[in-house]
Amino acid sequence: MDSAPVSARGDVAEEPSLISLQDVRKTYPNGTTALRDVSLEIPRQDFVFLVGPSGAGKSTLVRLLIREERTSSGRIFVDGRDLSRLRRRHLPYLRRKIGMVFQDFKLLPNLPVFQNVAFALRVTEGALRHLRPKVEEVLSIVGLEGKESKFPDELSGGEQQRVAIARALVHDPLIFLADEPTGNLDPATSWEIIQLLLQINARGTTVLMATHNREIVDVMRRRVVAIDGGQIVRDEDAGGYHAAPALEPR
Amino acid sequence: MLRRLWNRVDFAASSAWQNFWRNAAVSVASVLIVWVVLLALGSLLLVLHSLDQIVALEKSRASAISVYLADNTPLSSIMDFKLHLEHDPRVTAVTYVTKDQAMQRFREMPALDPQVIDSLGTNPLPASLDVTVRDIRDLGAIDQEVRSSPLVDKSPATNYEPSVIDKIVLLARVAGIAGLALIVALTGLSVFIIMLTIRTAIYLRRKEIEVMKLVGATDWFVRWPFIVEGLIVGVAGAVVAVLIVGFGYRPAVQNLQSVLIFVPLSYDPSYLRLVLAAMMAFGLLLGTVGSYLGVRRFLKQ
Repeated sequence: MDSAPVSARGDVAEEPSLISLQDVRKTYPNGTTALRDVSLEIPRQDFVFLVGPSGAGKSTLVRLLIREERTSSGRIFVDGRDLSRLRRRHLPYLRRKIGMVFQDFKLLPNLPVFQNVAFALRVTEGALRHLRPKVEEVLSIVGLEGKESKFPDELSGGEQQRVAIARALVHDPLIFLADEPTGNLDPATSWEIIQLLLQINARGTTVLMATHNREIVDVMRRRVVAIDGGQIVRDEDAGGYHAAPALEPR
Repeated sequence: MLRRLWNRVDFAASSAWQNFWRNAAVSVASVLIVWVVLLALGSLLLVLHSLDQIVALEKSRASAISVYLADNTPLSSIMDFKLHLEHDPRVTAVTYVTKDQAMQRFREMPALDPQVIDSLGTNPLPASLDVTVRDIRDLGAIDQEVRSSPLVDKSPATNYEPSVIDKIVLLARVAGIAGLALIVALTGLSVFIIMLTIRTAIYLRRKEIEVMKLVGATDWFVRWPFIVEGLIVGVAGAVVAVLIVGFGYRPAVQNLQSVLIFVPLSYDPSYLRLVLAAMMAFGLLLGTVGSYLGVRRFLKQ
């Protein structure tokens, strides 16, 4: 395992961060404030765990990054673009730079593995000429060669998550957002998925993973950003899940 | 470029087709309602056109009346009477029509069975003087004058019917307004039902739409399959309606001609083509508007 922390918060003076949050506040229409005064810099190729109890604001942060939600105040830059100024019609192009996976995989049950992955290229009209080789390439990265014609319900949870990861990779994203990717998986499978994320990170993609998985965070010793009550309460290189009884009583 | 275009068309068409059959009951309902609207529209246009034709013909006929002569009137009296009428400054022409000529005209009427006429034996039609006037408004006065002449048949004396044109014009207007109201209501209903169909399709595809947005599909890429589905509904409804009206118009006119012998109905193929094209276009419009409205709210964010 790569022991050097990839986080480089201290030495990004020249190169702007890939993701930058500046005094971000998000208040929902019902009056709930999910994030308050959040500032965060994530440089390229960083690997960041986002931890915190349920309702702390992790999912809101993820949703803000793909602009499924807009900030109430403050600014978010992704790859140099100010999301609050991004026109709606440019939004799809932002999303192509961000690969996303979720706890519930979000696969299409009526399509086989190959088509599930190819779907992302078809609907974005990316790499149509090289659709087959591209899909085969990402399926081999996630280790699903030979399962192209299986349907999602014929796969294990870990394999389904690999399909979702492959789909997130077809656009060669700059950023890989994983929202509780191991939430539905057993410990052994969870580790396989983490290894995969490390591989993806090693290929140059920035990885941001929101998780409750204490063991993984503690063992990995990567950068940890802890959120609680909508605020960043801790941001450590090579951190643990921890400081944590207050964060996640378990 | 071509590959992209093909991908777009292929994706939209195949998704739309799947949508259509996935919620077949709703789709068929929306095709039916489109069909009903277009059938009503086509029929109304054709009926109004026929009424227009009748009005036009009646107007041209209206400047003349036939003064029916009693049988056995001597020809010399008829000629005197004709001369008398011709001297009237309001009259432009007077034509004598014998009983035989009247019979001949009667035989030439469309859709009349000659055998029925032959079975009459004797000729029941009166001879007449067809009087053409300068100004239609004088017809009433002339009608009154000729009735007092002993030469004129009393049952009926003339074919003067001042209200017939007014009646037809009124009928056309009422049919037009009622038909238009019906079509407006049905149009609203069909747009609404197509909208529901599209929303059902969107609901059934919500997972797919979520993934599409997540991986960065553009709004229009997401919308197209549903717009195409609306078009399929519109076209399917229109095709059925167009076939029915297209093939049904001529037999309908022929049947009416045999029932309404004295009404000058005619089959007008060039107008029919226009009506069919209008129906098709309206079907497409219904489908597009319905699906656009269906898609608009639900694919916003």
